[in-house]
Amino acid sequence: MTSERIRRFETEQLTLHVLAATVAFLIVLPVVIAALVSTKRAGIVTSIGDLAPGGHALSNYRRALIGLEFWRYMLNSFVMSVAVVVGKLIVSLLAALVIVYYRFPYKNAVFLFILFTLLLPVPVRFVPLYRLTTELGMGNTIFAITVPYLASATTVFILRQHFLSIPASLVETAKVDGVGPLRFLWSVLVPMSRAVLVGVSVIMFVYTWNQYLWPLVIINAESLQVAQVGLNLLRGQASTGEVAWSMVMTGSILTLLPPLALLVLFRRQLLETFTIQQK
Amino acid sequence: MVQSGGGYDHVSRRSVLKTSGAALTVGTVGLAGCSSSSGASVRPVDEDSLTIWHAMGGTNGETLQGLVDQFQSETDIDANLVFQDSYEGVLTNTLSALDSGEVPDVFQIDSLFAQQVLDTDAVEPVENLLSDDYPVDDFLSNVTSFFTIDGTLTSMPFNNSNAILYYNRSAFEEAGLDPDSPPTTLEEVRSYSQTLVDEGVTDAGLTWPNHVWFVEHFYSVDGQTLLDAENGHAGQPTTMQTDNATARSLYEWWHEMADNGLFSNPGIEAWGEATSTFLTGQAAMLMTSTASVTGIRSGAEENGFEVDNAFYPTIDGDRTGPVIGGASWFVPSGLPQDRQDDIGSFLEFMGRPESQITWHKGTGYYPIRQTAVEQLENDGWFAENPMYRTAFDQLTQAENTPATKRMLIGPARQVQTTIQDMSVELFSGEVGVDEGLSELKSAVEDELDRYYS
Amino acid sequence: MSTHEVFTDRLQAGVLLLPTMVVSLLFLYYPTVRAIGLSFYQASLARGDVFVGLENYRRLAGSTEYLRSVLLSVLFATCVVVGVMAVALCVSFLIHEIEVGKGLYLVAVIWPYALPPAVAGLVFLFIAHPNIGIFTSYIEALGIDVNWFSNGPQAFVVVLIAAVWKQIGYNVIFMTAALGNVPESLTETAELDGVSRTQRLLRVYVPIISPTLVFLVIMNTIYGFFGTFAMVDLMTKGGPAGATNILIYDLYRTAFQFYEFGFASAKSVVLFVAVGLLMYGQFRLSDRYAYYGG
Repeated sequence: MTSERIRRFETEQLTLHVLAATVAFLIVLPVVIAALVSTKRAGIVTSIGDLAPGGHALSNYRRALIGLEFWRYMLNSFVMSVAVVVGKLIVSLLAALVIVYYRFPYKNAVFLFILFTLLLPVPVRFVPLYRLTTELGMGNTIFAITVPYLASATTVFILRQHFLSIPASLVETAKVDGVGPLRFLWSVLVPMSRAVLVGVSVIMFVYTWNQYLWPLVIINAESLQVAQVGLNLLRGQASTGEVAWSMVMTGSILTLLPPLALLVLFRRQLLETFTIQQK
Repeated sequence: MVQSGGGYDHVSRRSVLKTSGAALTVGTVGLAGCSSSSGASVRPVDEDSLTIWHAMGGTNGETLQGLVDQFQSETDIDANLVFQDSYEGVLTNTLSALDSGEVPDVFQIDSLFAQQVLDTDAVEPVENLLSDDYPVDDFLSNVTSFFTIDGTLTSMPFNNSNAILYYNRSAFEEAGLDPDSPPTTLEEVRSYSQTLVDEGVTDAGLTWPNHVWFVEHFYSVDGQTLLDAENGHAGQPTTMQTDNATARSLYEWWHEMADNGLFSNPGIEAWGEATSTFLTGQAAMLMTSTASVTGIRSGAEENGFEVDNAFYPTIDGDRTGPVIGGASWFVPSGLPQDRQDDIGSFLEFMGRPESQITWHKGTGYYPIRQTAVEQLENDGWFAENPMYRTAFDQLTQAENTPATKRMLIGPARQVQTTIQDMSVELFSGEVGVDEGLSELKSAVEDELDRYYS
Repeated sequence: MSTHEVFTDRLQAGVLLLPTMVVSLLFLYYPTVRAIGLSFYQASLARGDVFVGLENYRRLAGSTEYLRSVLLSVLFATCVVVGVMAVALCVSFLIHEIEVGKGLYLVAVIWPYALPPAVAGLVFLFIAHPNIGIFTSYIEALGIDVNWFSNGPQAFVVVLIAAVWKQIGYNVIFMTAALGNVPESLTETAELDGVSRTQRLLRVYVPIISPTLVFLVIMNTIYGFFGTFAMVDLMTKGGPAGATNILIYDLYRTAFQFYEFGFASAKSVVLFVAVGLLMYGQFRLSDRYAYYGG
């Protein structure tokens, strides 16, 4: 390359960096504002000049978590999400194991039966689901916000795709050794699928943690409510009857942190899994 | 079918199902049939403690907690307050609880939704829970009259209020308005707002949450019922009364206020937003519940201005009176006797004069026991705290007419949202006043017709 | 595939499949069937059910309000799809073209994937607030009256921006992966031919990654229809004057504010058919499997 071309390349790259940095800044900005407001007392910021961080970070987070018991909502969300992740993982691993490694009649029909549930998202069935869960006596329990989520076409599909990509020769070896299916799953498939398992777990966690509509309608006890819905309860908590914006922003940041942390920590596995999922 | 309540029990539903003979849907229909277990087995949410669902946030919630703590220590009955965010939240959760049979012992229902809860046929008239010598007569008659249906006290009035006008005295002074003579009519509100905005004192003149209660107030203050059949107190209403000067003046004024930037719209049911708008000095006047008086007083102090309040503005100077607001305690039916006794003790405690005084002082809801009022008078409380007096005076000076009895209808939530949604179209000028009012009328008629047919 | 099939015990297969089948039947299929059943009833909370035949559907067909909600949802979803994909494509391309330090930018733009819709709604409500919003005074200085609590089109735009913002991350994840798979040789050829950057994106990359784009169109459409519920609920409650009353919010309102479960079920059935058609379209278009968040 001539020096002129190198210079042109450098200027171009510089422009791209400036553009990318601007875009990234804009995408992050709303949350930065929320984080700044969560350090202020009243939380009214009407201009950029009001954005200087306040000195109430500690007291705000303490008030939200302990005083207003937001820890309880966080804990409920956490229990719900972990239960769904673990449950879904087990249920889906077993299903994928059967779908890939078993020979049995109507296998395609079974797989279609599972896939077809993609057409039945919560919004099309939450009214009868609401009746069903209350009739089963599960209304207002942790079961109501976990059990209905346990079957997952997505997870089964991702695992199936991944299992199919594992060389058949390895499987043959296992067969020759006369290993039972569960042993096989546990000691051959799971170790070979670590990245994918982490990836789907993050997807499932984020999906469950971010659920809003279903907990909103099925949970009516404050002590069982999840963070997404609990957030709105913070709105009315200013003693003067105002909207307690700094509390709302504090709660928003708290609610964002767990899925965000997982995304940042496991982004590599997540991206890898998404690549499988789309195939 | 409103008075008889949900008159479809399992048997009648089955027979309807049979006679309908819907061969086409036999399979699926059967699945839908077996729901709604109201009246079946009723069990409390928490066996060991009374569960009370309420909608009191902020300082009001703290005051309520204080009362409940006192109740627990005096009686040794455990009681657990559960905050449900809003009256709408309590209503939804209550209906689903009555449906599932796992019920709270006491729930606080907005007077707006009283009929809707009664229509479930799954609540116990509180009169049956109070001891025989409980002095029900000591309650203010303009309060109990709303909650007494066919001669029975169905729910226990507790936090009752009406809407008043709060204003920023400091802003008034700055704009050259006399803070001792707040506006009393729509026209005065408009001209005061214009002055405040023209003088650059505040961005807008007035704000209030877009809630049906304020429309109800404008009607009742003007001596007009919102619905026919005396707002639902004399039978099933069929229509909304929009062909009158009240409605036209109200919406013409509201549109003009919005059009000229004199009204700041905080949004639908946005109580907190409206209060914020007022306390942060964006608007110099606020119409909201008397229950906000304690919070607003301290909020004004924090924001460095002097606040005062006055009667709700009239349409054109004639004043009949406000409608009741706030809520009452309802109790589910079918709980065991010993539990009902505990609930009775709770209700009696909440209604006694000492509790009412604590409650009034801590919140601004007006005291609803004659004895409590007298004691507050004797203590000089009202003289020292005139802001607490406004709502009470507004109530006692009211004429007792059908107009001042708040609407009592089953499809309250539907009618409420219809009016609120349509109000936005009207004040924002999306539709003209005549066209908008006739649309509003027919939409309300549809809702009433659908529920009562 | 057949080489993978090492186990043949049918009983075992049945037992291992049981959890998935039971949960699917009980919580996915059964409620759907029941929604169909319930749609023939006038059903409410705590008030009993009455069979009414096709009345709920008749009411739906005759409701201009519902028709408006349908059109609004289609418009909203379309704007979400176009908006988010245009933004995400530019962002992904930008990052793709950067030689050093990609990773950092990538994290900075994909994180909204983890953003809870409820948080997105509340944060946007706050920063775009007509009275106290941080940018309100600046926008008003440009001569635009920020008034979205009363002004329908403005409310639509504000909710739309929040919805697009939340969905950028998800799109960038797939787009950068797809761009990363474009063969280096193609890029080089294009560069040698003196094709400009924009031309290269539109003429070379977009056709190559079109399967990914089709997949994202479907995902974003479903998101636009359903995933934005929390934002609508927290920011506008469907208002002002129905301007953001998209189908899912309308359904929620019918069921859990008005307690008209039968009528709501009829609305669910309509939604179900709509989702079905969408998915069918996806299968036809790309012949690939689509992910729906469950």
